[in-house]
Amino acid sequence: MALSGMRGLSVFISDIRNCQNKEQERLRVDKELGNIRTRFKNEKASTPYEKKKYVWKILYIYMLGYDVDFGHMEAVSLISAPKYPEKQVGYIVTSCLLNENHDFLRLAINTVRNDIIGRNETFQCLALTLVGNIGGREFAESLAPDVQKLLITSSCRPLVRKKAALCLLRLYRKNPDVMNVDGWSDRMAQLLDERDLGVLTSSMSLLVALLSNNHEAYWSCLPKCVKVLERLARNQDVPQEYTYYGIPSPWLQVKTMRALQYFPTVEDPNTKRSLFEVLQRILMGTDVVKNVNKNNASHAVLFEALALVMHLDAEKEMMSQCVALLGKFIAVREPNIRYLGLENMTRMLMVTDVQDIIKRHQAQIITSLKDPDISIRRRALDLLYGMCDVSNAKEIVEEILQYLSSADFAMREELSLKAAILAEKFAPDLSWYVDVILQLIDKAGDFVSDDIWFRVVQFVTNNEDLQTYAALKVREYVDKPAIHETMVKLSAYILGEYSHLLARRPGCSPKEIFGIIHEKLPTVSTSTIPILLSTYAKILMHTQPPDPELQNQILAVFGKYGSCIDAEIQQRAVEYRALSRKGAALMDILAEMPKFPERQSALIRKAEDSEADTAEQSAIKLRAAQQQTSNALVVTDQRPANGTPSVGQLSLVKVPSVSNVDQNTAEQGVTQANGALTVVDPQPPSTPSADLLGDLLGPLTIEGLPSATVQPEPNLASGLEGGWNAAADALAIAPVEEQSNIVQPIGEIAERFHALCLKDSGVLYEDRYIQIGIKAEWRAQHGQLVLFLGNKNIAPLISVQALILPPSHLKMELSVVPETIPPRAQVQCPLEVINLRPSRDIAVLDFSYKFGTHVVNPKLRLPAVLNKFLQPIQVSPEEFFPQWRSLSGPPLKLQEVVRGVRPMPLVEMANLFNSFRLTVCPGLDPNPNNMVASTTNYSENTRAMLCLVSRFKKFVYCAFVFKAISVFYGEPHDGN
Amino acid sequence: MIRGVIVMNDRGKPRLVKFYEFQPAEKQQELIRSIYRVLCSRAENVSNFVKVDSLFGPDVRLVYKTYATLYFVFIFDSSENELAMLDLMQVFVEALDKCFSNVCEIDVVFNFNKVHTILDEFILGGQVLETNSSEVVKTVEEISKFFLPPQLCVCLISFRYSYGYDLLFYAGSRGLQIQSWAVHQFLAGSGDSIFIALVTSFITILC
Repeated sequence: MALSGMRGLSVFISDIRNCQNKEQERLRVDKELGNIRTRFKNEKASTPYEKKKYVWKILYIYMLGYDVDFGHMEAVSLISAPKYPEKQVGYIVTSCLLNENHDFLRLAINTVRNDIIGRNETFQCLALTLVGNIGGREFAESLAPDVQKLLITSSCRPLVRKKAALCLLRLYRKNPDVMNVDGWSDRMAQLLDERDLGVLTSSMSLLVALLSNNHEAYWSCLPKCVKVLERLARNQDVPQEYTYYGIPSPWLQVKTMRALQYFPTVEDPNTKRSLFEVLQRILMGTDVVKNVNKNNASHAVLFEALALVMHLDAEKEMMSQCVALLGKFIAVREPNIRYLGLENMTRMLMVTDVQDIIKRHQAQIITSLKDPDISIRRRALDLLYGMCDVSNAKEIVEEILQYLSSADFAMREELSLKAAILAEKFAPDLSWYVDVILQLIDKAGDFVSDDIWFRVVQFVTNNEDLQTYAALKVREYVDKPAIHETMVKLSAYILGEYSHLLARRPGCSPKEIFGIIHEKLPTVSTSTIPILLSTYAKILMHTQPPDPELQNQILAVFGKYGSCIDAEIQQRAVEYRALSRKGAALMDILAEMPKFPERQSALIRKAEDSEADTAEQSAIKLRAAQQQTSNALVVTDQRPANGTPSVGQLSLVKVPSVSNVDQNTAEQGVTQANGALTVVDPQPPSTPSADLLGDLLGPLTIEGLPSATVQPEPNLASGLEGGWNAAADALAIAPVEEQSNIVQPIGEIAERFHALCLKDSGVLYEDRYIQIGIKAEWRAQHGQLVLFLGNKNIAPLISVQALILPPSHLKMELSVVPETIPPRAQVQCPLEVINLRPSRDIAVLDFSYKFGTHVVNPKLRLPAVLNKFLQPIQVSPEEFFPQWRSLSGPPLKLQEVVRGVRPMPLVEMANLFNSFRLTVCPGLDPNPNNMVASTTNYSENTRAMLCLVSRFKKFVYCAFVFKAISVFYGEPHDGN
Repeated sequence: MIRGVIVMNDRGKPRLVKFYEFQPAEKQQELIRSIYRVLCSRAENVSNFVKVDSLFGPDVRLVYKTYATLYFVFIFDSSENELAMLDLMQVFVEALDKCFSNVCEIDVVFNFNKVHTILDEFILGGQVLETNSSEVVKTVEEISKFFLPPQLCVCLISFRYSYGYDLLFYAGSRGLQIQSWAVHQFLAGSGDSIFIALVTSFITILC
């Protein structure tokens, strides 16, 4: 066979194919790897041909998913082979196996450069391909001028030049400075005059990359791009081979239109006119035909043209033409075109004028929700979600609900979340909203998150008109035989609060309500029981005149759960039992919940967060982002009188802020009146907690009392005697969340520290409020660290303090740390480090902040450790041994044995050494099990000094292994 | 840019894996497995697009196409046009077809190195390099001249048993139609006349 021509390789592949199972395959691979390893060790024995064969095998094994930790060197060394077959293998395999930061690549830079500047075109191609695929910063610095020269030399063959263009693109991405050459933009414009379409395609990709960073410098390319597009669209001077199914190079057309989208506008009227002519031609001249490939190609161009039209904000006529086209596409047979039609329509929504035209296609879009292809269904859902507003919300949400029962499980969660958000955003009236959510829970309870039902509770609580309706509705649902647990929670809560409003209706007496809710109790989980208990207490309170039979029943339930193993349930049962004996005081304590303060819907916030994440950088998206912020609206109880979108959404809170303040001062009054109650008011009044769970699971906290009923409270606390300790009582009434207010760090602090000792950036500390990241740069004895303090919450972190406790050998200067970190913000604090002399001591960051009332104060070790001040250096045996021998003993030569460490393979050890910035010098010690390394240590007092490390691996059981940088045989030695 | 190209068969075995952003070996395998799980559950006659947000992040798209027993998968970000990627895949397969004359899975398996060479002529560093399949075939043919010098064919005569496979594959890749009975005869060592005819035709091609 042409390229491999290696029997061994073919035999190996057929062996692998013949393996019956994974185990056999693994055995065969292991055998082969063992074989290759021995061959490679015995370097002289393997011919270039064999080497080539083994390297191919390694690539094959790697592709099968086995980790190959050797052979990289051999692959790299083949690059410098004189003959093409070996060289080619070296280049291809290297670019598959190695990443851009691999040390071995550095060894190859020279060879690669020689191939690039050499005369042999095939070698040039190979080298350009490698650099284009995995070239890193170092390649960029040393090769960019050569590659640029290849690209602009017109005497080079197109084959080489097109590769040079893409290679340059890679180098530019790695180091944008390489293109800061005078006059490069003119050269770029000249490149666009190229006749060869292969070179032109690559150059266009390069231009797109340049434009995405800075379009200002390349205005001169704009008319040229339009020219290229014209040339293609009119099929002038396009060789037959570049015509794909009758379409002149669709890729180049697409790329050119991409490039044009990076210019904010087209100023020149002539250019603009010809561009619009071309676009018009593309929009009109494309039809759906039988051949799938032709369809794909012609529509690739068409969809890109649509994107460009949207970007240019063309006049309305052209836009509506586009929408009409899309409307046609979403109904065609070809699934790809349906899919892209829906996707582009979603994008089109961001252009303001055309929303009404899109709405005309609503029926077709709803049909797409039932498409056999899940990709298309998802797109249709996205589009429906995007096009929904007050005028069509009812219809769309009802469609989604209807579809929900037949939808596949993969989509149900998304469907129900979207239905809930739309219902909330665009509800024409609130009773409809309640209906929708109840149906949602009924049909897809498993996929309805807590946020959704919490939100219903908030609405019902804050809107008096809604309370009776909601109570009645849930009463209907509770009657059904098997209902979802979320429904039990919601209905229990609402019936507990508002069932007294229904009292005169048939089947709604307190007794009947209790009966029907109590029926559900055996079927629910422990998280629901506390809600049910609260409901019982409320029912009991609302039963006027008291019904002794019901009272006994409920007290019996409280009695039973008074010994429950779950602390929350037990506490509630015991408290309610005690409270229910209080008579009139009960009325005050169990009074209706006050209105919730205004807050943004957790659902909408979640949706916005994810939207922000996916926001693309392109111009269209940026514009869209500005438009979308207005969507964060809250529904009110005010019915939209005239049906215009914006009127329907006003703020939902009717509680005047004054009463809020009253309430807080009243609570503080309580606190002062009875010292034992200090725990009760755990949240600072200024930061309404976003934690809905806390609010709902602790519905009977004193915090909830209206200001008018404050007076009896001290009596309550003192009245609850009979073995009740006031302090314990107060604690018991506090909401659940406050009982576990110790902030636990996420992840092991020690592990994070160890990881940072090896790398220069990462997370130093994280808990549920804050994340501290670190990024460091080290140069000789100087270090520049930046601490990133990120507030993960929606409330500010206050009293932030950071103090550095440096050990004597380090001089550290931390810039000012702001006292408050705003919500969801990140602040950067630079930190300068100077190493005065080598030492193993470690600096500590004493960090503290306050969230609400918690003070968190972690002490964190900073990864400014000895090895950061090392700089690897290669030492020859002639230099090493005399110096090593000349060092006689402590303090210049130390020996330490590290025990109790897991044995480590030699390669891993070498890697570890490298990450500690010690250069392993292979071949210094004849025994391959010993490892010798060298480095230079920098510090203020001693300047650079050479450190030599030698490590002997002793046989038998316990290998003596290097663990932390602080331990080495080795020693500082002045003057080198 | 294009993030990766994967060719795998309908049982999830990778046949060609090339990522343009480095992925460690385990991560590659994990991705291949997850992609396979999604693809094998898709019906026929559906679109060629799959949502892969959960695997690669929000901005990344995936198109795939089935050719006989093989899935061809392109993974790329939003800077590329989906349909154009699909076209490129088609052109890539056309080129394979020209190089192997009626390409099938077995060609890709045994010539994975050649497939790499062909792919490198289409995509470089995640960017489209060439879109003209005849241009690519021409380049690959040029490269092939560096392999298997004519003298080797003479050697093949003396080592015909041991190099039998190579010879056949070489013939296949050069566009020679070999009848299956001829293959049997040849491998059994009883078809001397056919064998000689084959070798003669090689020499004419190579010279």
